[in-house]
Amino acid sequence: MAQFRQWALQYVLADDEPARLEITQKAAREIESSRASSTAVGNWAASVQQWMTPAHADDDDRMDDGDDGASGDIIARANALSFLAGTLEALDKKVLRPDQVLMLIGFFGSMFSYDHKAGITASAKALRQLYSMRAFRPDMGAKILEAVCKIKEDFRLQTAATRLEIYELFLTLVQDPAVSSELQHKYGASCGFVVDLLQLCLNERDPRNLLVWFRILALLLTQYDPSPEVTAEIFKAFSAYFPISLRSSATPIGITAGDLKEAVRNCFSAHQRVSSLALPFLIQKLDQGDAVTVAVKVDILKTIKACVEKYDNPQASVVPYIEKIWNSLKYEVRNGEVKETIDATLEVLRTIARKLDGTKSHKLDVSLLKSYIDLVYRDCRDDLTNPTYTKQAGLLLMTVISANIRAYLLYSASFIDTIRQNLRQPKSPSHTRDLLLLLNSLLKTRMELLTARKEEHAEDEQSLRLESRTQLDTLFHDVYLPIWTARGKVPISEESDVLKQVVQGLAMLVSQQVLRPDGQAVLLCSASVCSEICSLLTATLTNGLTLSFNDTQADDIALEDEVVLGLRNIVMNYTDGYAEIATRARAEIRNRDWATPSEYALQALKDLLSRLTFIGCSEIPSRIPTVTPSQQQFSPLQHFITLVASLLELFPLSSQPRAQGPTDETGGVLANAHIISSLRASIIWFRDACEAKYGLEALASHPSSEQNWVAELRNLPEDWLLQVQRGDGPADVALGALEESGPEVYRQFLKLSLFAVRYIYRLASSGPTDPWSERSLVQLSQTAALVVRSLDEQQQVACNLAHEAFNFFHGPGEPTVPQTSSGLVSGLLTLGILQGLRPGALTGLYVPGGVAEQFLCDTSTFSTSSSRENDVRAAIGMILANKYKGGRSTSDPDSVVMKHVSEFWGAWLKDATTSTPMAPETFGAVITVTMSITAGAAARQDKHVLGLIPALHQAAASQDPNGETIAQSIGLIVKDNDLLTPDNHAVVKRFYKQWAYSHLARPLLQDAQPAAEDGHAAARYRVAILAVITNCPFAVYQDDLAPLIRLLITALANPAGLSAPAASAQVVAALQILVEILAHEPDALRSHLREIIGGATAVYRECAPSGPSQKGGPTATRSLCRRLALQVLGAVPTVFEERHVLRHAPPTQRMLAVACGDPVRRVREVARRARASWAKVVV
Amino acid sequence: MADLENANPTILSVSQLPSRRHKGGAARHGPDARCDSIVYPKQPWPYGSGSSEDEDEDEDGDEPMDEQDIYDLISTISDPEHPHTLGQLSVVRLPDIRVSPSAVLPDPESLVTVLVELTPTVNHCSLATVIGLAVRCRLEQTLPPNYRVDVRMKDGTHAQDDQVTKQLADKERVAAALENDTLQRMVDKMLETCA
Repeated sequence: MAQFRQWALQYVLADDEPARLEITQKAAREIESSRASSTAVGNWAASVQQWMTPAHADDDDRMDDGDDGASGDIIARANALSFLAGTLEALDKKVLRPDQVLMLIGFFGSMFSYDHKAGITASAKALRQLYSMRAFRPDMGAKILEAVCKIKEDFRLQTAATRLEIYELFLTLVQDPAVSSELQHKYGASCGFVVDLLQLCLNERDPRNLLVWFRILALLLTQYDPSPEVTAEIFKAFSAYFPISLRSSATPIGITAGDLKEAVRNCFSAHQRVSSLALPFLIQKLDQGDAVTVAVKVDILKTIKACVEKYDNPQASVVPYIEKIWNSLKYEVRNGEVKETIDATLEVLRTIARKLDGTKSHKLDVSLLKSYIDLVYRDCRDDLTNPTYTKQAGLLLMTVISANIRAYLLYSASFIDTIRQNLRQPKSPSHTRDLLLLLNSLLKTRMELLTARKEEHAEDEQSLRLESRTQLDTLFHDVYLPIWTARGKVPISEESDVLKQVVQGLAMLVSQQVLRPDGQAVLLCSASVCSEICSLLTATLTNGLTLSFNDTQADDIALEDEVVLGLRNIVMNYTDGYAEIATRARAEIRNRDWATPSEYALQALKDLLSRLTFIGCSEIPSRIPTVTPSQQQFSPLQHFITLVASLLELFPLSSQPRAQGPTDETGGVLANAHIISSLRASIIWFRDACEAKYGLEALASHPSSEQNWVAELRNLPEDWLLQVQRGDGPADVALGALEESGPEVYRQFLKLSLFAVRYIYRLASSGPTDPWSERSLVQLSQTAALVVRSLDEQQQVACNLAHEAFNFFHGPGEPTVPQTSSGLVSGLLTLGILQGLRPGALTGLYVPGGVAEQFLCDTSTFSTSSSRENDVRAAIGMILANKYKGGRSTSDPDSVVMKHVSEFWGAWLKDATTSTPMAPETFGAVITVTMSITAGAAARQDKHVLGLIPALHQAAASQDPNGETIAQSIGLIVKDNDLLTPDNHAVVKRFYKQWAYSHLARPLLQDAQPAAEDGHAAARYRVAILAVITNCPFAVYQDDLAPLIRLLITALANPAGLSAPAASAQVVAALQILVEILAHEPDALRSHLREIIGGATAVYRECAPSGPSQKGGPTATRSLCRRLALQVLGAVPTVFEERHVLRHAPPTQRMLAVACGDPVRRVREVARRARASWAKVVV
Repeated sequence: MADLENANPTILSVSQLPSRRHKGGAARHGPDARCDSIVYPKQPWPYGSGSSEDEDEDEDGDEPMDEQDIYDLISTISDPEHPHTLGQLSVVRLPDIRVSPSAVLPDPESLVTVLVELTPTVNHCSLATVIGLAVRCRLEQTLPPNYRVDVRMKDGTHAQDDQVTKQLADKERVAAALENDTLQRMVDKMLETCA
């Protein structure tokens, strides 16, 4: 006894939660150890006696006066009771006996009658604990409810937290099935306790409590069976809160207005027994007119939707109110302007239609749905004739008709009929457009319903098979065709909208499928109708070629784009269509003379080819049989084959020799180039389509075969693709079963692409050279790269592509590289394949002394080469050096190739700058190749590069004038290059620029300083350093800023003689680096501001259009210098405090004002920005 | 501002404004144009030194300051009472700007005159002077010193166009107006939208 008392006292006096928890646990252990003997439990209960007695004596007095002594008592008493509650919480739930639980319920229950101030929270907590005891009996639940309800009026005086405790208690009891059946047994249908509860909880306003209370109410409606009177009372209790909102509070409690709305909505939709109250109530709320805000309206609509959706037995619960709902909703859409309400309204109407159809397992009588749609139809039909309301009426009708298959089948025919009638006498072009829009969306919905048919009742699929098609069949000739032919001739802006709708409609019509009686889906339109539609639209497409420049307008282009999209959708379903389009386009192109085409004709050709490519290759067609089976066997690749075959057949469009030499890019050769560009585009489109359909990793997850495709393709006739396209070629021989879908399609596509590349490579390398121009060769080379790059290493090896890179797919008997082709042609062809190869597929080339080494160590043919040829040579060198792989199990077991290369170039550099001086042009060409090779190896961080670097430094510093060229081009080693990207399977180490910088530039920093001993070498080193750094990101050189800035200032200090390319390159680099430093670490420049501002100003003056060096130096470089100088100047005042720049302001502002009149527009823009930032420096 | 001078002006969308881009043959942007930049590159030769840097070389040519340049400078000024620019409200119109002598390469020593005629949205607009002041400020801040700026109200577009024009031409009154903090702030606010 004493022990419990002691603990109770300790608990009452304790402040912190852990201490209290410990005490209650001790008490609980004590009771458990006595096995809940009556004595122990009695002692435990009596331990709080000392706090209870006085409270009872003058309870009423204390309730009213709130002096300190009394409140102290109350707190102590509350603590004491909470000691008991806490002990119960800690107690083993099996220990107490039923009589003890009952006694305790009696004790705590009595608190609700006697002790409103201190006892409620603890008692509610204790009662919830008692509920969880094993000895708890359902009848005790009823007792608890009765006892708690006795608190009556005083309930609302409790704090929100206390009330929450009680709500939780109620919820626990009400949702317990045993207690619930006991309550129903005891109170019967009248559910008297519910009335007490409702009385008690009237006027609750705390959001957290409300959430629980609404749950209780919803449970009372669903789990219990209250009489209509009680139901009405319950409804009153929650509907009083509707529409609910939440005041924003300074202390958010984690409950949103949305939660509350949802909770109330759940009450409304809890059970159909409130339907007779809820729906009229909601409709009445909605009919208040303008008094209802958009948010409230949406809330009401969502609630109605929830009710309709959830009520069972719709005949009784929903049907009686449908007319009312419709009458108050229709104007929301007809005259409504707010999108949210319109959407919510349509959602309600659609839900009603779905509800009346029944569920997947149980269909309702069709008359319910019919009378509902009749209701809607009656009201909307007339609106369709009125242009103002066409769209809205159509929307309403569409919503109910498209809600489910049954509704669609019942009403689509009459809906289409109504639209058709209206289209015969349209009021305005926009009326026609709206009507067509409706028709199109009906078709679209039809397809959606058809696709989703499996998820519906089996009966639906049956009725779809029996669907009447007359309405749909006649749409083309009755509706779309007349509009198209009547107006197609005079496109005015509004009518172009109508025509766009027609195009969309036609596309939709061709995509329509119907179910045959055996369940098979076939295209709705016959092949002849589809073909007619195709040719109708294709005419628009080929217009460009037949019309002249003056006939085309902006509206036409928009319509043409729509046609392109439409045709794309058409040929995805009606697969024979594409061959028709391609044949027509080919004929149109052939009809023109491409020897000397106009610029307009070339543009038209480009547009036509680009569109043709998009239509055929941007998606993979699907196989849907037509009613009359197609003559051609379906293949997912058939459009691609058709297009590629057509392109190959068209090439070359012009075989005229170029008028103005090999670099001529006009006329016929450009038309030829467009064909090659389209070939490349078609491969890109189809690859993207494959990746979209089968996933990016489609090929990676399926290991490829080790077949040599090239050898396989070699056995095919040259015009094999044309044969396949015509349908008489041995397609299966090379392509295997084309029926398969999935990654196999992707692989076959690559094989076909490879065939195309092979075909055209052979043409380019051994055929006549006249059709080829630089542009078309570059496109061809990149097409090859595109195809090769997509193959995996195994396939690249199997096809021996590394060999083909120098052999251009010529057979063993044929001449390897024909003598007729120039170095540029063969170079570009080689480059294309090498660019796409993976390092592993190239190893064969790196036999010591083999092809690669020979190529990398070759200076023999430079003197006669053109600069383009040298560019290609440098690019090939870069790739070969980059993709090199040596070591055991490769062709270069001792890794000597790169060593040889590095030694070769080291020796050459030494030789070229000391003993045998070379002509500067030749030297420049060779050094570009040297640097590119080094760049390729440096990206891989090849250690042999380090061996070459001292030679580079030495050569750069040599007295030979070519040393200057070396210093300048050293930046190429770290310059970003498109060839060194992961796309091209290049080996690029992440930090190679840091690596290269630390070996190439950093060692020179000291020797390059202006005060260095060897002034000549210092100047060369400066050029080299700046060339390297300008190609590196800031982070690479940020540790060396101090010496670097000195170099920059030196470079800027002497801008005279900018005419020399070397000097201008140096200045450009210096300014670029300054811009970077100003952006990243301006503080480093603070003490050099005078020199920098002065230097930039001097550069601007020197490069000014009327400046001293006007006669020298290319204009572009001079304007670039001016732009960069102004950029540096403009950045200065934004990063330094005013006191640092103040004294430079007047001259700079004057100079910038003049710079605003620069002859070059872009320079003027920079000057204006700089001027604005200096204007903020107030002198 | 309690009452708007013109509560409901006609507004042009940005795409309708005159701009240099629309003059050249605009590239087609159909659904099929996605690969165009790849297969029809501006720079047909992708390799070597001449490939990347000089991509936009055509923009670096000499182009004298013309009416479109002046239009671009002032059409982005915001209207003091509407959230639109002067260009969108057609207060500034390209045909009403004249540069003389036009289309010559500027020589910093020779004078060039820029004449801008403004069309207020309503003919009693009391803010016309402020708009004129802002246009003047903008041009003076951005044009080189050898340019003379003349801002006027277009004849017949404003009830008191003569007076407003006179005010804007009076250097001392312009300077005095900019001494006024409220006016200065208003002008600064209008110029905020200029890039």
